[in-house]
Amino acid sequence: MSQPAVLTPAPVAAPAPSGGIRGAIALQGVSRVFGGGIVAVDRIDLDIRPGEFFTLLGPSGCGKTTLLRMIAGFETPDSGRILISGREMQTVPAHKRAVNTVFQSYALFPHLNVADNIGFGLRMRGVAKAERRARTEQIMGLLQIDAFATRNPAQLSGGQRQRVALARALVNEPEVVLLDEPLSALDAKLRAELQVELMRMQKRLGMTFIFVTHDQHEALVMSDRIAVMERGRMLQVGPVLDVYEQPRSVFVAEFLGLSNIWTFTARPGNIAETPIGPVTVTAPLGSATTAMIRPEKIWLHPEAAAPSDRPNLFPGTIREAIYMGASTQYNVELRGGAVILALDTNNQAAERSWRPGEKIVLELKPDNIMLIDP
Amino acid sequence: MSAYLARPVRRALLLTSLPVYVLLYAPLTLIAIFSFAPAPGATQPGWHWYADLLHAPDVLAAFRRSLTLAFGSSILGTILGTLMGFGLSRFRSRARSGFAAALPSLIIYTPIIMPSLVFGISELIFFNLMHKATGLFAAGLLTMGIAHVTFQAPYVALVVFARMSGLDPNLFEASHDLYADGRQSFLHLTIPVIRPAIIGGFLLAFTLSIDDFTISYFTAGPGSTTLPIYIYSAIARKGISPDINALATLMIASVIGIGLLQYAFNRQKERRPMPRTGD
Amino acid sequence: MSAIAEHPAAKGSAERTERAARAWRLWITAGPGLFWIILFLILPSLILLGIGFFSIGNYGNPHLPLTLEPFREVAGYSILGWSPGNIEVILRSLVQAISAAGLTILLAYPVVFFIVAQPPALRPLLLLFVILPSWTNQVVRTYAWMELLGPDSALSHLAQAAGFIPAHLGLMPGILAMQIGLTYNYLPYMVVPLYAAAEKLDWSLVEAGRDLYASGARLFWSAVFPQTIPGLLSGIILVAIPAFGDYVVPTLLGGGKSMMIGALIASQFLQTPNWPYGAALTIFMLIFTCGGLIVFRVMSRRLGSSEGSMI
Repeated sequence: MSQPAVLTPAPVAAPAPSGGIRGAIALQGVSRVFGGGIVAVDRIDLDIRPGEFFTLLGPSGCGKTTLLRMIAGFETPDSGRILISGREMQTVPAHKRAVNTVFQSYALFPHLNVADNIGFGLRMRGVAKAERRARTEQIMGLLQIDAFATRNPAQLSGGQRQRVALARALVNEPEVVLLDEPLSALDAKLRAELQVELMRMQKRLGMTFIFVTHDQHEALVMSDRIAVMERGRMLQVGPVLDVYEQPRSVFVAEFLGLSNIWTFTARPGNIAETPIGPVTVTAPLGSATTAMIRPEKIWLHPEAAAPSDRPNLFPGTIREAIYMGASTQYNVELRGGAVILALDTNNQAAERSWRPGEKIVLELKPDNIMLIDP
Repeated sequence: MSAYLARPVRRALLLTSLPVYVLLYAPLTLIAIFSFAPAPGATQPGWHWYADLLHAPDVLAAFRRSLTLAFGSSILGTILGTLMGFGLSRFRSRARSGFAAALPSLIIYTPIIMPSLVFGISELIFFNLMHKATGLFAAGLLTMGIAHVTFQAPYVALVVFARMSGLDPNLFEASHDLYADGRQSFLHLTIPVIRPAIIGGFLLAFTLSIDDFTISYFTAGPGSTTLPIYIYSAIARKGISPDINALATLMIASVIGIGLLQYAFNRQKERRPMPRTGD
Repeated sequence: MSAIAEHPAAKGSAERTERAARAWRLWITAGPGLFWIILFLILPSLILLGIGFFSIGNYGNPHLPLTLEPFREVAGYSILGWSPGNIEVILRSLVQAISAAGLTILLAYPVVFFIVAQPPALRPLLLLFVILPSWTNQVVRTYAWMELLGPDSALSHLAQAAGFIPAHLGLMPGILAMQIGLTYNYLPYMVVPLYAAAEKLDWSLVEAGRDLYASGARLFWSAVFPQTIPGLLSGIILVAIPAFGDYVVPTLLGGGKSMMIGALIASQFLQTPNWPYGAALTIFMLIFTCGGLIVFRVMSRRLGSSEGSMI
């Protein structure tokens, strides 16, 4: 049994501009237009650092898959440059790029067994049989699929096939690994397991992973940085924490997690006049017109024991309580009729958590209110 | 599901179906029985007519010609058909609709839909006119071969196309992604994956050719008699006769034998799950 | 979607290059085969159809000027004036084709449901036995019926005794023999599509209908038969159209007095040549065939069945 060794001793690069570092991707003004005038990708600039787990997140049709395919070489951009490890690659055909893809449908070769599937890329590059064998065995051990080496892909389960697809890509030690919604065909539990596994694998090997998904939860769990895309444009790029806590557009705020969003007019004293009433905000209002607070940031107090000397206190009634196991989502109707979404951890015994009809007081701490420019 | 049919219904079905099966095999059986008729002047039934067949040079020559024609045309028909099925499956523009996009399909279906008589006569006059104009295309094995290839290729194309349609379209991209260029992809991915369809198509083409009468009849020339044409001419000349019976029985028996063998072979293959290995 | 006008490289040039590359690959792979079919079938058949408009030369070969004379011949006019012979041939062919389809339907339904009622393991074998005879050569199959229906055969003696036919003649050659031959030849082509439809039958509908319909016959017509209609239509096409233009059966079993259009056409090219006339007859035959196909497509679309294929 081979030792689970690290294949590529690549350094996890410190945040540095790309160019010349193996595994860095730079997109400069990349566009792709389809027949009929549909702009799939709209002048995208992006820098992906070597060794990071970068996710392209967005709804169907936002262009994330098209972008991935252009990096892989399956499609050519109409304009712009694509640099992989510092070299211009947008005119280089796919089979000459040191980039490997894990497909949504796995695309395992039906006429080859697992070991030969994995070794296919090495074989095409002319790697000698002995070395091919050694590297295949090594990666199979790493992904715990050695038992299936002589099996045909048709005989494997979805999760097993996914691992084979991953092994087939990784064994070539590419500069970048592209993953096109590889977990979407799996059931929830398997998905959760593989999310963590993929993340760990990536950290261990230190290869750049570019992951495409429409599932925001998946993006949150696995990524170092994410880019939220919509209609061919990149709305926000940054570390997961930043994008989640400080969305710069309504779309990003709504796409990534739950949110309460209100337009407001500014009042003196840094107060936002919202449909739920005046709200004190810490950050300067500036030119912002929209305010947002995440449901989990809202504090709930029982009516009887509510504080009275703090800003942004809103009494209301629980309209609906949606139990989610570790937490509960509450739809709270305020006195004026507006409804707020609040999320609370179930850290009390069941009898002590809120029920529909109960009167509570919501507290929106001014620090937690995020402002979004128009 | 047979539970849905009451016993009296099942019995009625059996009673009405059995005559149909009998009807299907009675004529063929009769030929077989009559093929053992006694030799002229004798009274005992026997293998006389079969023995005659072995010494009949015309029959053997016709048989050999059928095989040669079938084999030769099948090779070319399979090549052309495979390329058509592959190309139309892989490279047809999905976006376009209308006449231009449907044209290749129309062309491929024409030989399949066209009645054999019209097919045969078209070839007859075409080769006739070509021969008058150029001196080439004299009626014979060549013209028959050309006609056979023309109806074989579409069937092969359909078989290959069906196989290709069942494939994950990402397979070809995966192959490129893994450093295989166009030529390598074709060699190491396409051909191995559609190989069963190519073989199946070849066998289908071979069968179609061996069995064909009408088209062959109209494109044949003097000296290019195939087995079906030989039998037809013999019938036209002599009517019903025991030597034809013997030949017919042999043909029937071989077809039934091959059919049953193929069935048994398929059943065997289904039972064994074989993990395929590459090289 | 962003407006295309504001886009610098908005011409979509990459898309066009890709499309051109794909078109080139299509022509290089499928091209040879398609070209072969065009050259060796489509062109010849167009020539054949064209000949129908030529005048008849000395040895039956076509030459200018163009004329509609061949079509007058089809309608029955010749040097001797008008005779109904051609109309008879066409009508006879139609009747033979349609009744062959009808007979195969009557024979196929019991067999199909008999097979479907068997355990799944047995069905492929039973179906194979129905199909095997059709794998034998067409000439051999037809010859078999020549044997069975010839003047000296038992069946013919029976018919003679019963007074159906004169004493020294046989059932073959004749109209009945042709009909039997056509039905026999094309029966498997009705069984296969019908079986395909019957195998996919939704028996839950039958079960539900059992409560509504008292008699088995009503149950069959209302719950079972409608589900087999797509297969039935396919079968009708696969039987009637080839039967209409068949050559071997009418020639061997029909004889000179009961010609069908296939034999008539062939004789214009093989015996007394008259190419333009034969071509005009072919055009007519094709009109009937295409007409039948169109009716079929309209009917099957009306009844809601659709077949996936390359087209």
